[in-house]
Amino acid sequence: MSAEQRLIAYLDGELSPAEREAFEAELAADPALAAQVELHAALSARVARTYAPVLDEPVPPRLTAIASVANDRGGLMSSLPRWAAMAACLVVGVLAGRAFWPQGGPLAMHGRALVAQGGLDQALTHQLASDPGAIRVGLSFRARDGRYCRTFQSPDDHLAGLACRGDGRWVAETAVAWTAQAQPDYRTAASATPPAVLAAIDAMIAGEALDAGAERAARDRGWKP
Amino acid sequence: MNGLEREIVGLLPRLRRFARALARAPADADDLVQLTVERALTRRDQWRAGTRLDSWMFRIMKNAWIDETRARSRQGGLFAPAEAGERVGDDGAGAMEARLAAAEVERAMARLPADQRLAVALVLVEGLSYQEAADVLEIPAGTLTSRLVRGRMALMADLAEARP
Repeated sequence: MSAEQRLIAYLDGELSPAEREAFEAELAADPALAAQVELHAALSARVARTYAPVLDEPVPPRLTAIASVANDRGGLMSSLPRWAAMAACLVVGVLAGRAFWPQGGPLAMHGRALVAQGGLDQALTHQLASDPGAIRVGLSFRARDGRYCRTFQSPDDHLAGLACRGDGRWVAETAVAWTAQAQPDYRTAASATPPAVLAAIDAMIAGEALDAGAERAARDRGWKP
Repeated sequence: MNGLEREIVGLLPRLRRFARALARAPADADDLVQLTVERALTRRDQWRAGTRLDSWMFRIMKNAWIDETRARSRQGGLFAPAEAGERVGDDGAGAMEARLAAAEVERAMARLPADQRLAVALVLVEGLSYQEAADVLEIPAGTLTSRLVRGRMALMADLAEARP
């Protein structure tokens, strides 16, 4: 063990009791060694202090969301179609800028954005929460940045999420693999909304969700802010 | 959410801290956490209940970080510019000073070679024992110690220079 190795192992509590005792005896007799120990102790404290505040930061909802994907149906990820499992990690894909989505799915990569297309785009643009359809639209609300956002659930695609309107398209802010619960009544939006989507709403919403009248009015204006 | 997901959510603050020590820019660090969680969930059958989840996930993150670093260096200069990791706010003078001191450490960490940065992050930031850190990195304890010592000496030299 080199002198530095020994000193650092001492500070890290990695010496055996006998080694420790011997080192402490040297330390008492050698002010230069003691000064070295002090410098290294200060470095340890400084490095720890630099990163400690990260523990107190709020965890971004997108991270909690991925870990929540499997919700109460254990092993969901493995039992779903491959593209639905991909939805679970869509943010990874978006950030990596990879176009992994199969053509013809409900969402497609455009640059770094995941954009609703086909039936999902139609439902988000035209459907009211009270309207029936293969895709259900849940809550509509104004985000803090002024955009209109809507939650959706597509049982056929095993997908639930939150999309916001901007530049004439719906961009998915969150999308998670999701399966309608056994009871046929998955219409009750709130109870069927996955926690990840609820967390995204909480993080984005300005004020309250739109009521039926405000929802209709916003739709009739083409979701323009 | 079942047991593993719940435990992973509980670990997120520590995963974010470890990632920040590796990747520096907060957005890069959170991407790394995301990749780690996603990989952990797809490999959940490799996780043995009763063993330490933090060590298992640190190992996944280590591998993910090395993969990403290699991929990025092949594509050339995709790393966030050095200053992107710094968030010097307009809070009080004391907080500002602490922030600047932290930024110096972050800069010095970012200059360490990957293997030394991993050793320093696991032992100094995450508080793992040498044996635990060696297990995460899949290296002998002796190799861990020498990387840790080299990393510490480099940080020491770097930070001494930064101080007038």
